[in-house]
Amino acid sequence: MEGFPGGATDLSQLQSTMEAVEHACSSIQMHVNPGEAEKIILSLRLSPLPYQSCRFILETSQIPNARFQAAGAIGDAAIREWGILTDENKRSLISFCLCYVMEHSGAADAYVQAKVSAVAALLIKRGWLDFAETEKMAIFSEVKQAILGIHGMNAQYTGINFLESLVSEFSPSTSTAMGLPREFHEQCLLSLELNYLKEFYCWAQASALSVTDKIIGCGATVSEDKVCSAALRLMFQILNWNFRQSTNTLGHSINKISASSYGIRHDAVLLKKYERSLVQPGPIWNDVLLSSGHTVWLLNLYATLRQKYSSDVIWIDSPLAVSARQLIVQLCSLTGTIFPADNGEMQIKHLIQILSAVLQWIEPPNVISVAIQSGRNESEMIDGCHALLSLATLTSTVLFDNLLRSIRPFGTIHLLSTLTCEVVKAHTVIRDEEETWASEALDILLEIWSVILGRTDTDKDSVSTEGISAASNLFNVIVESHLKAAAESAFDDDGDADYFHASISKRDERLGSYALIARVAADVTVPFLIKLFSERFALINQRNNTSDPTQTLEELYWLLLITGHVLTDSGEGETMLVPEALQVGFSDILEEAQHPVVVLSWSIIHFARHSLDPEMRRTYFSPRLMEAIIWFLARWVDTYLMPLDATKGQISTPGHEHGHPHGYKLSKKVLLSFAGEHNQGVLVLDTIVRISMMTLNSYPGENELLAVTCQKLFVALVRRRNICVHLVGLDSWLDLARAFANERTLFAITARLQRSLAQTLVCAASGLKDSEASNQYVRDLMGPMTAYLVNISNRNDLKAVAQQADVIYMVCCLLERLRGAAKATQTRTQKAIFEMGSAVMAPLLTLLEIYKNQSAVVYLILKFMVDFVDGQIIFLNAQETSILVSFCLRLLEIYSSQNIGKISLSLSSSLRSEAQAEKYKDLRALLQLLTNICSKDLVDFSSSSDELDSPDIAEVIYVGLHIVTPLISLDLLKYPKLSRDYFALVSHMLEVYPEKVARLNKEAFAHIIGTLDFGIHHQDTDVVEKCLRAVNALASYHYNERNAGKEGLGAQNTDSHGSNGKLQDSILSHFLKLLLQLLLFEDFRMDLAGSAADALLPLLLCEHDLYQRLVQELLEREANPAMKTRLASAFHSLTSSNQLSSSLDRPNRHRFRKNLHGFLTEVSGFMRIK
Amino acid sequence: MSDEEHHFESKADAGASKTFPQQAGTIRKNGYIVIKGRPCKVVEVSTSKTGKHGHAKCHFVGIDVFTAKKLEDIVPSSHNCDVPHVTRTDYQLIDISEDGFVSLLTENGNTKDDLRLPTDETLLAQIKDGFAEGKDLVVTVMSAMGEEQICALKDIGPK
Repeated sequence: MEGFPGGATDLSQLQSTMEAVEHACSSIQMHVNPGEAEKIILSLRLSPLPYQSCRFILETSQIPNARFQAAGAIGDAAIREWGILTDENKRSLISFCLCYVMEHSGAADAYVQAKVSAVAALLIKRGWLDFAETEKMAIFSEVKQAILGIHGMNAQYTGINFLESLVSEFSPSTSTAMGLPREFHEQCLLSLELNYLKEFYCWAQASALSVTDKIIGCGATVSEDKVCSAALRLMFQILNWNFRQSTNTLGHSINKISASSYGIRHDAVLLKKYERSLVQPGPIWNDVLLSSGHTVWLLNLYATLRQKYSSDVIWIDSPLAVSARQLIVQLCSLTGTIFPADNGEMQIKHLIQILSAVLQWIEPPNVISVAIQSGRNESEMIDGCHALLSLATLTSTVLFDNLLRSIRPFGTIHLLSTLTCEVVKAHTVIRDEEETWASEALDILLEIWSVILGRTDTDKDSVSTEGISAASNLFNVIVESHLKAAAESAFDDDGDADYFHASISKRDERLGSYALIARVAADVTVPFLIKLFSERFALINQRNNTSDPTQTLEELYWLLLITGHVLTDSGEGETMLVPEALQVGFSDILEEAQHPVVVLSWSIIHFARHSLDPEMRRTYFSPRLMEAIIWFLARWVDTYLMPLDATKGQISTPGHEHGHPHGYKLSKKVLLSFAGEHNQGVLVLDTIVRISMMTLNSYPGENELLAVTCQKLFVALVRRRNICVHLVGLDSWLDLARAFANERTLFAITARLQRSLAQTLVCAASGLKDSEASNQYVRDLMGPMTAYLVNISNRNDLKAVAQQADVIYMVCCLLERLRGAAKATQTRTQKAIFEMGSAVMAPLLTLLEIYKNQSAVVYLILKFMVDFVDGQIIFLNAQETSILVSFCLRLLEIYSSQNIGKISLSLSSSLRSEAQAEKYKDLRALLQLLTNICSKDLVDFSSSSDELDSPDIAEVIYVGLHIVTPLISLDLLKYPKLSRDYFALVSHMLEVYPEKVARLNKEAFAHIIGTLDFGIHHQDTDVVEKCLRAVNALASYHYNERNAGKEGLGAQNTDSHGSNGKLQDSILSHFLKLLLQLLLFEDFRMDLAGSAADALLPLLLCEHDLYQRLVQELLEREANPAMKTRLASAFHSLTSSNQLSSSLDRPNRHRFRKNLHGFLTEVSGFMRIK
Repeated sequence: MSDEEHHFESKADAGASKTFPQQAGTIRKNGYIVIKGRPCKVVEVSTSKTGKHGHAKCHFVGIDVFTAKKLEDIVPSSHNCDVPHVTRTDYQLIDISEDGFVSLLTENGNTKDDLRLPTDETLLAQIKDGFAEGKDLVVTVMSAMGEEQICALKDIGPK
């Protein structure tokens, strides 16, 4: 072969290289001395001009692994030595690879051929911008010949495979790194898309066409099948391309606006959940994909084959069938400017075409479901569901429903409903296995329902009457099947509680989708739920203690869950509104007593009230049922109890209201007021408080239930002030507060839950009329806690008593309660809580001493202080601040005296790791404490700001840093939570007290700088941002001080010695280099550009000479003159455009941000390497 | 002190028993518990139910604080478990005798001579080496349910 690089080599040498490589390959396979063998192979890859040897191995060796390695070595070496190869060399390497795969197309060990093919693709891409167009044409015309079948079927298959490697080499996510700027990859990608991609698609189509006759007829062999499925796969891969052209030219805003009128949606970007993207290839693809009848051809091909192999059960899962279906589903997601602006006519036609073909895969649903349950492969049905999902995403709900009407007497929603029914039935029958076809299909189908029903612009009118009745039928089936499954599983052991938690969010997601379906037909489904509840309540009422109620209880459990989802939304942390669908769903019902939502709510609450009767409770209200009741009540309270709309006038939603008659408004009003303040609200509130108090007292040890009560229901009760106003006036609530403050009973709840309880009780103070009353309420509530702590810390026999388990438990509970109260600090209760905190300060120090070996107590003391400082510090005046700060200082001193220099031992590694975990938690608490104290100087609401600033804070920080820094190791910083806390503290501290930090002793200072260095390379953007802020603060401080004639960082900056004793760079020049390196060469995230600019500016100003030198070096290193000019001008405009001055004021920083942004956009294309 | 506050005043006194009953549901990981008569540190708690509508049970995995043996127990979560009184006391190390006993200085100036050196290799070496180098060492002695053992060491002064 002419021009093959490497010159002549003698045969014996080639032979010996081959033997060495062969030997290495076989020893790797047999695990004999693999290290040695790897070295041999690596040396082949790294050797200069190994092409002759590789070629020799490829052509002669009998060992496939050796051939594989030789092919890889060609690729590696050529990329490395690209500069020294002549054009002729390059061409001949490529043609050698291509010829090789063509010649060996039928050979065994296909992976060798695939590797050679990939190497050819790699080399073609490497030379893509250098090669003349004619050269590429020459190469591709060979490939085209092969693909069209001139050289036989094996060559055809090989050609298709080669194009597959080529396309994947050109896509950004699958391309090989070759040490070139990003711009290069981008240019290759655009050029391929523009000039070749469509052609490749046509070739693949042609090659599929060339074999389909045989496949459809008889006498097809395996190779025809192979060619056809490879061609389809290539087409699929090409349609997966992330098309750039079309998105660039997508300026069709007119198209977008008119979209909604005919039902094609352009707002959908992705079929997110299943990680499939929409296909938007742009207008030039119209002829290939649409006008040429390509889709019809493909659909017919699949249908014909399906018919032909109808008796062959495994055909559905054959490569040909799978790739054909994949392509069909992909074509379903086709959208954008490829369709002409004809009001969506063509796209709708396209979708109907596909839908009519896909129907066969899913219809009739019951037959399909039965077939799958008796062993048929489910992949076709699943693909059908995916196709429906694409349709639903691309069309409006009305259009989606109508698509089917031209083919069937009913709409698509009806079909979707019957299909979902069958899948739900199958799913609830097989509940033992985790991942079944039914659960996979159910997830997709529910996603479709969420897409068509969950849109913000979907209202009642967008679903047809037929669709609504389909939905209500479906909901019936869902409920019936699940109730049946619930009854059957009632006696199962609820063994693994952890598994239960993992699946809860999945379960809630499904229930949420079920609820969407139910709400479409609320006027039918809500009464249906009422009926189901009343049947079961009746059953319980007439039972005479003889029969086992467990099945009914489990059914009720499930009913409560689904009803909770139907009646309420689950927006965490948002203000709950009555679901829109329920507000508009009952326009003909004007009487409160008849409104189904009202009836359903009252019947459940009435039932829940029975739990107050001890006899009833013991027999029927199992912990699990109670959990569901409490959970339901929490959601119900958030949505319906004294809703804000009712008190503050309606939040009107214009656009929805005109069309509706008077009845709509009335029925909506009923819904918003039936549990309002002037109606049943207060009465219900009282009942709910009594039920929750009973739960706390009567279900000892049922932690799940107690947690729902404390963390969900109570939180919901005190969330809104208008409820708190009534709450604090209730006897039941005051009973609860009294029990909490003065009785032992509530100590039987887990300590952590006592914290939430304290928090909610204190929160309720917001309902009292003024600040005086609120503070008194808190004093009454928390006074006994502080009194106990003061009392115990003053005991003479404290030392002996303190270590007893019951005392430790008591102290822990009280500390948790104090924490809860501190967390609930509000402006109006701040005073009482500060008193509470000051009262226990001295006792806490005593306890910290006494309990130095009880890590749990120490941790709680630290955490209490974290929350206390967090809640209080912004309110405190100078005197109070000084009290708090000197206390914190004492606390830190005692903690460090107890913990530094201690060697702990434990008998077993697991106990030791427990101890380490405790230390880690303490450390985090300390960091949080310091950060919270720091915030005093950032946010200060205290009234007396004119007083002298308390100097103590800086002192605490100073001491705190000395305590904390030696405990932080780079290993510990790998824990995300800890590193976030730590860097938050450091950046905070450098911003607020740079002068203190500069005064730290050398070790501590060097340690902080070391961690910043580590943090800048962190994965977490948050951490990087904080480090950049810290560097900014450090450099700005230095710059400003120096300008004022002071020494700034002074000795700390210059006098840093490396471990080898040599004088290293000053710290600031180190960071300057680091930052430039990061910005220019590494994968720098643009969202950090702002903070990077802020850090870079002061560094530039401080180390101007170094900066000039670095820029000069960079420019000299750049060999390409064009790049050099671009880089030079980019650097120039970075520092001189926008009238950048040498100050650090805001406008100047802002200008520099702009400059850096421009700079990064300009250089990142050619400086960053892949 | 008012009457009301009396309700949860601790009844603790110095001569209390070696263990204290505490509801199983409130015992957390990292707490202590008596399993099969041995004081343990809880390293794992999980809950389950006897049937879906039954009551909760706690499943404890504990590690014997003295022997490091792993022990397990299942208790209905509303029932009480025994929680051991685990105390740690610091003593200054005065002497190590040849038969493996240590001599410790108590807070009130007496000596305590009934304790053996620990069996753990690392700690043993650290104590012996530190003592030989003349460091001022404080040892922490853990005691629970009538047993005692040295469990930690701290160097409090210069050589």
